[in-house]
Amino acid sequence: MAVKPFGLVFFPAFDWALTPTHPEREERLLYTRDQIVEEGLLDIPGIREYKPRLATLRDADRVHIGVPDIGSHITDAHLVSAGGAITAAEAVVKGEVARAFALVRPPGHHAMRVVHGTRGFCTINIEAVMVEYLRRHHGIRRVAIVDTDVHHGDGTQDIFYHDPDTLFISFHQDGRTLYPGSGFTDEAGSPPALGTTINLPLPPGTTDEGLHYVLDNLIIPVLEDFRPDLVINSAGQDNHYSDPLASMAITAQGYASLAAKLRADVAVLEGGYSIEDALPYVNTGIILAMAGLDYSRVVEPDIAAAPRGLSDGTRAYLRELVAKQGALWRERESLSSAAAAKAGDFWTRRRGIYYDDSGISEQQVERLRLCPHCRGYLAVATEAEGHRTGYQSAFAAVVPRESCPACRQGAKDAVLAAKRQGKYQHYYIQDKENDSLERV
Amino acid sequence: MLLGIDVGGTYTDAVVVAEGKVIAQAKAPTTHDDLLAGILAALDRVLDGVDAAGLRRVALSTTIVTNAVVEGRLERVGLLLLPGPGMDISALVPERPRILSGYIDHRGRETAAPREAEVASACRDLDGCEVYAVAGKFAVRNPAHEQAVAGWLRRHARPAHITLGSAVAGSLNFWRRANSAYYNAAVWRHFGRFARAAQAAVAGRGVTAPVYILKADGGTMPLAAAGERPVEAVFTGPAASVLGIMALAAPRGEAVSLDIGGTTTDIALWRDGAPLFAERGAQIGDYPTAVRAFWLRSIGIGGDSFVRRENGRIIIGPEGRGPAMALGGPAPTVSDAMIVAGAAGFGDKDRAAEAMRLTAAGGETVQETARSVLAAAAEAIQAAIANMIDERASEPVYRVEDAVRDLRPQPAALIGVGGAAAGLAPLVAERLGIRCSVPEGAVVANAVGAAVARPTIEVTLRADTAQGYYTVAELGLRAALPSRRFTLANARELAARHLAERAAAAGIPVADVESVYDEEFNLVRGFSTTGKIIACQLQIKPGIFTAGEGV
Ligand SMILES: [Zn+2]
Ligand SMILES: [Zn+2]
Repeated sequence: MAVKPFGLVFFPAFDWALTPTHPEREERLLYTRDQIVEEGLLDIPGIREYKPRLATLRDADRVHIGVPDIGSHITDAHLVSAGGAITAAEAVVKGEVARAFALVRPPGHHAMRVVHGTRGFCTINIEAVMVEYLRRHHGIRRVAIVDTDVHHGDGTQDIFYHDPDTLFISFHQDGRTLYPGSGFTDEAGSPPALGTTINLPLPPGTTDEGLHYVLDNLIIPVLEDFRPDLVINSAGQDNHYSDPLASMAITAQGYASLAAKLRADVAVLEGGYSIEDALPYVNTGIILAMAGLDYSRVVEPDIAAAPRGLSDGTRAYLRELVAKQGALWRERESLSSAAAAKAGDFWTRRRGIYYDDSGISEQQVERLRLCPHCRGYLAVATEAEGHRTGYQSAFAAVVPRESCPACRQGAKDAVLAAKRQGKYQHYYIQDKENDSLERV
Repeated sequence: MLLGIDVGGTYTDAVVVAEGKVIAQAKAPTTHDDLLAGILAALDRVLDGVDAAGLRRVALSTTIVTNAVVEGRLERVGLLLLPGPGMDISALVPERPRILSGYIDHRGRETAAPREAEVASACRDLDGCEVYAVAGKFAVRNPAHEQAVAGWLRRHARPAHITLGSAVAGSLNFWRRANSAYYNAAVWRHFGRFARAAQAAVAGRGVTAPVYILKADGGTMPLAAAGERPVEAVFTGPAASVLGIMALAAPRGEAVSLDIGGTTTDIALWRDGAPLFAERGAQIGDYPTAVRAFWLRSIGIGGDSFVRRENGRIIIGPEGRGPAMALGGPAPTVSDAMIVAGAAGFGDKDRAAEAMRLTAAGGETVQETARSVLAAAAEAIQAAIANMIDERASEPVYRVEDAVRDLRPQPAALIGVGGAAAGLAPLVAERLGIRCSVPEGAVVANAVGAAVARPTIEVTLRADTAQGYYTVAELGLRAALPSRRFTLANARELAARHLAERAAAAGIPVADVESVYDEEFNLVRGFSTTGKIIACQLQIKPGIFTAGEGV
């Protein structure tokens, strides 16, 4: 029997697919459903299944700036999926359960702040929508997100890149060998939030042993040091040795013991495309581990196919990685001040962002006001071009919570000035203090 | 004519129904030590003046299985499980299981073979065991391992009976199937003895009509067929009551029904004129099972519920202290309040008034007290109904289409049956703002339900066109698909054929077949569709014989 009550939001979206043969299709969680139901997991006293609520467009607007608006990019499925994450988190925050797992689709961790379309199967970032909902409605402040998907959680990183209250740790297969091609150690947060983004690129073929080395020696100690109000696990499962989209070697036992050590308050499913050979077992393992139950018998039938051990090269690389990122963490405050001093009043970043599913390429310029009195404000200029969507552009300013009057005014002025120049099609102010996304 | 007998906690009721009307009714005290004696006494009384030759069917709703479970009269079962990888359920089943190797995966493929030597060793270990239950994970997708183990059991032991998990239920949930199989085996001998005695005794009274037994899902099965599936005859009392309501009141659309008895009220929700089922199966003791049952909530309020005041508040039940004071009981009851409020006409009115005086707060008239008592009882029932509605509304769904739809039940009518229905049901309906009916004959609703319950049976068919086979779990069947271009429509046709077969084998007429659920998924491998997974469950809809319909 579960040691502590555990909440499960299971939403396999059996009637939703990106396209009929896409990895994000109706069939994806079919075998996971079969396994969970067949095991009888939903009948265990202490395991409580929740129906996902429907997130609102307003919940999405708290995080995203959709061009022209978020509603034109998403379907009901996205609102159920994000709503499922909120349902899970709320069950924990209200004390109904000790932990919860939103085993939902579609996923979200590649969706960035600005949304022109779908990238990496994601349109809205369901964890970010959940986190901002909790901040708005439940007074949660410090949040740690550990992204255990094989792909770099570039969307989540983007959304919280300037936020020192959100610790984002992502381990993933090295971006030189896999989509989205980012997540290197030098992506560590903008100056005010330097060190609260931690990327751990892992060599292809990394096994349970390698992953747990990084977990034990870096992730867990950093989490303890950060003292978050809430730990979120972006629980992608495509590090599995049988996953068709990646080349890692994690097993169901590796994932389950990770869940047991991480002790996340809320886990949210992300990727995982070995729908028959991995997902049924990985999900069963994670549910048992999060519920405090024995998961030792959850073993893939084809476990003999799983690579084991660790090469000397990988071992040395991981040791160095842990040392380097550990040092960055310990010195983050002085590094942050130095970076801010170097940047002056504004920190600027230019990027190209590619939407593989929608066939869009975006050029984006962020200008972050570094304010001595508050978190500053962010101005984002975006231009996107796609065969189906044509040209879309927008200029937005984001006012964080607890901003000073000068920065509130500065954000407004920046948008009005851009509008006077008239270079963009759409103008927005996203005000986190007033919980509004306003068209200017 | 149809004869129905319901074995209740106090009385065994019997009715004869002809053309949808109760033409005879009788009762006899329930004989707990030997249920058959009470059953036969009620039978004799109801047949007094009725021509037994005109009976087409005798149907029993009996507590024989429920009692065996509650009283722990369960035979020792050799429980053999093939759990494969997954949760360890060894400590979660009613009997210490022997765990065997062998695994069937979610597609019904063997990924590890079972071993005869392990079964042989389990048999030595279980020396003296005569009944066995075998359950394997995903056996509903491929029963081969369960069947192989049964074969080895026959070779290495002398089993009087073996229950296979996949035969007791066709749906997923290994834990529930294992528990069901265990209970089925554990009550098999006890039930068989009762069934044979009942059959002989009824025949001895010159009744040649076949004897059926009621199931928890409101269906009936011929007593002979029930011998292999006794666990399905658990909790038939509430099922009988629900069917009685169907027969007497024919609820339409969305409704709520109350069976208000001595110390409990059983609540059921209805949709499209049919009671809702428990999503996954009935709970037996501490164990969830796969036994199909109506979804009922029982709360501790009835006519005999003990009424008192604690810290100024009226408290009702859950226990009783005996009959109403108006009937010579020792303490105030809900029935006393009904008598004083003019909602019931039996018993000694002065004693009822005395009961209310004992309950009254300072300065209250007995009428005011009676009204407060009934209001409190109605409020508690209303709260339980609201709770059920909330629970149903928050039942998880797995499709976007269902997630965005409001599935909250909105009952538009209330039906009350049972001894205390007339006094309480209208008050509950008033609070809910819906119309109320208390049908005539409500006090023998259970026996009527048993009399008119229609036999029902189900089959679950699952096809995997990529692998080219299909299974019908309840038949232990795994066979090649007739064509690779197999569609959901083909699956329904094939399932209907197997349903007819299964019904014929059980002596059940096929009528009113309905689809319980179906699903269809494309199997995509390497960006191209390689086949389909199609599943459908069909059943003969549980329900009642309407006038003129045959058995
Ligand atoms: Zn991924
Ligand atoms: Zn400021």
